[in-house]
Amino acid sequence: MNRPLSAVAGGVTGIAVMTLLLLFLEVETRSNLAIFEAVARFAGMPGNVTLGFLLFLLAGVFAWPLAFMALEQYIPGGPDPATRGMVLAVALWVVFVLTGRGDLSGGLLAIYVIFTLLAHLCYGFLLGAVYGRLTSESPVEADRYDPTDVSQ
Amino acid sequence: MDVISVLTEIPGLLVATWVLLGLAIYAGYRQNWQLRSVAADGGYLSGLGFESEKPTGLFRWLTTVDHKDIGVLYVVFATGAALWGATDAMMIRTELFTAGTDVWSAETYNALFTTHGLTMLFFFVTPAFTGLANYFIPILVGADDMSFPRINAIAFWLLPPAFFLVRGGLITEVMGKMLASVGVHWELLFSLRPPTIGWTLYAPRSIIVTNPQVDLVLLGLHLSGLATIMASINIIVTIFTERDEGVTWANLDIFSWTLLTTSGIVLFAFPVLGSALLMLIADRNFGTTFFAVDGGGPILWQHLFWFFGHPEVYILVLPAFGLVSLILPKFAGRKLFGFKFIVYSTLAIGVLSFGVWAHHMFSTGMDPRLRASFMAVSLAIAIPSAVKTFNWMATLWGGNVRWATPQIFCVGGIMTFIVGGVTGVFLASIPVDLVLHDTYYVVGHFHFIVMGVITFAAFAASYYWFPLLTGRMFNRRLGRIHGYLSIVGVFVAFMPMILIGYGGLPRRSASYPGVFEALQQVSTFGAVIIGIGALIWLTNLVQSYRLGPIVTDADVWNLRESGQFSREWQWFETQLEERTKFRR
Ligand code: HEM
Ligand SMILES: [Cu+2]
Repeated sequence: MNRPLSAVAGGVTGIAVMTLLLLFLEVETRSNLAIFEAVARFAGMPGNVTLGFLLFLLAGVFAWPLAFMALEQYIPGGPDPATRGMVLAVALWVVFVLTGRGDLSGGLLAIYVIFTLLAHLCYGFLLGAVYGRLTSESPVEADRYDPTDVSQ
Repeated sequence: MDVISVLTEIPGLLVATWVLLGLAIYAGYRQNWQLRSVAADGGYLSGLGFESEKPTGLFRWLTTVDHKDIGVLYVVFATGAALWGATDAMMIRTELFTAGTDVWSAETYNALFTTHGLTMLFFFVTPAFTGLANYFIPILVGADDMSFPRINAIAFWLLPPAFFLVRGGLITEVMGKMLASVGVHWELLFSLRPPTIGWTLYAPRSIIVTNPQVDLVLLGLHLSGLATIMASINIIVTIFTERDEGVTWANLDIFSWTLLTTSGIVLFAFPVLGSALLMLIADRNFGTTFFAVDGGGPILWQHLFWFFGHPEVYILVLPAFGLVSLILPKFAGRKLFGFKFIVYSTLAIGVLSFGVWAHHMFSTGMDPRLRASFMAVSLAIAIPSAVKTFNWMATLWGGNVRWATPQIFCVGGIMTFIVGGVTGVFLASIPVDLVLHDTYYVVGHFHFIVMGVITFAAFAASYYWFPLLTGRMFNRRLGRIHGYLSIVGVFVAFMPMILIGYGGLPRRSASYPGVFEALQQVSTFGAVIIGIGALIWLTNLVQSYRLGPIVTDADVWNLRESGQFSREWQWFETQLEERTKFRR
């Protein structure tokens, strides 16, 4: 598949799983984290969850995957595109945490920080893995395993 | 204004997209805007690229009746459930980090420990071991498949709906929120609140609570019980009737023995739970009085529940013992010491486990003569458990021990089992139990077992059989780090609970007196260590499945040397030969 399409496919997969994870987290924490309000703040639509969420989806499907495609070679963590995707996602997460956390503090903030990081890592991993799979790039044939090699 | 508050004023999306866009344009410029052509080399193949007649993709997994595929489905399902249950645990620990009720509401806290317990026991441990049984028992006993492959598939596919029923409130709420985000408000979806009655479902509270979600929980548990019974019958019949000529009762491997015993216990314990659940549903909805104060009474519930509940504990732990007995000798370079006695002690536990249920009820005012007899049997059941422990130690003694990841988990599991077992012996004696009952001591005690030996055995198996399951090797250094982190984590997380229990703090309360705060914080710290270990495990296995070094020689663990190249590895060897043919 051509590269932009593969990247978008990765973005769709990633954002679908990430949205599901965030939804679960939101409900599991009985809405104490107000994740989707955070998403709206992140998207620059404080108070308008629906529109903010829409922008978030568009960015996750188009903007970031295409940027990932262009930047891939410069992102550390290669040659595996999935690892590179996670690196990119961590960068995005930093911005997300800084702009989205609202006035959470204490235990809630800790839960928010850790679980949104995990959700971002899933997004980045899937983005990179799907993209790598569809474009078939990078490490093709893995090493053979050698039981006598204990250096690992 | 400091940097951070400046950042919160500007939408992060804007910042991130502009920065990325800028970088991307620059990168595109550097690459002269050429789109690279696509290589056609197959990319990330799993190590086991067999040619097969199975349909591919999703359809294969939805229609399969192959015991190996079903085993994998079980294990994946169990992993998902474990991660979800772990989220609950982390949220419990977050609340307990401070003395007051200040992170979640008390209701949310009660819901958390309820769903945590139900998820871990019914949807993580049991499916994980059933999955391993499905994959390996036919191979170990030389059968083509399980006796009833279709029932096997049905037994698995009952579990997801059962799980959704038990955690239904959350899932309907997710749907409600999804609909709400596009402007459709369906109140019904928000009417189910997570249950708050504890995994023991004690009457009269479980009858009085009006939340309709409780009925769904009961139905879901009933359904999961049916699934477990079906799987057990399949295991029993397979071991009895499908054995290869060379496999006799005398040389049946230890894993199959423990799973056989476990399935036997399931056969007698789960129907009791099923019936009790139906009676509880009737009490809640149809005005019967089985467990009402003016009917059979709440104590009747406790008797029925624990007649199932204590054997259930052994349903969970015996497969773990089986795995330790199977894996430990492979890395000690010698045969399991006292194989026969390990089998006998397994069978003894299977029988005795039905005779101790009332030790969970010492504080309810039973007749003292009855109480004393239950105490005697409870102490007696420590003997077969100790037999196993000493046999494991004797196996290590004088062996040529290799500290591979599976071995670290086995030995760590023995360590935590000793602590869990000894604290249990104290609980089995009436005077001690009257003091410690329903304090954190109990939570600490059984977590040394469920998080210690049971989860450790599952981890050990996941590493030990990883090359066989995927055709690739995991990263051994990360595996060892995970092992040591887990051992340290369990002691740091659950030792404080034992001490808190000695201090007399009752469990199941979101707030507590400030004097316990320091110990609670140590415990939370330990939980975080365990959590980090689990994430390392997940990363390691996922990445190794994609990119790990490919296994070409079936003897990954150097088992031939000590004459322990057992049946599943011999089977793996023939698989590898076929693959080489196919790959040319
Ligand atoms: C990091 C790992 C874990 C942590 C930190 C943790 C924490 C806790 C805590 C604090 C409670 C007590 C809540 C209360 O009563 O107030 C609890 C209850 C429980 N946990 Fe865990 N847990 C962990 C892993 C597990 C595992 C692996 C299992 C099962 C295999 C499990 C099974 C249970 C059960 C059954 C209960 C309820 C027991 C009862 O009330 O009778 N837990 N857990
Ligand atoms: Cu018991």
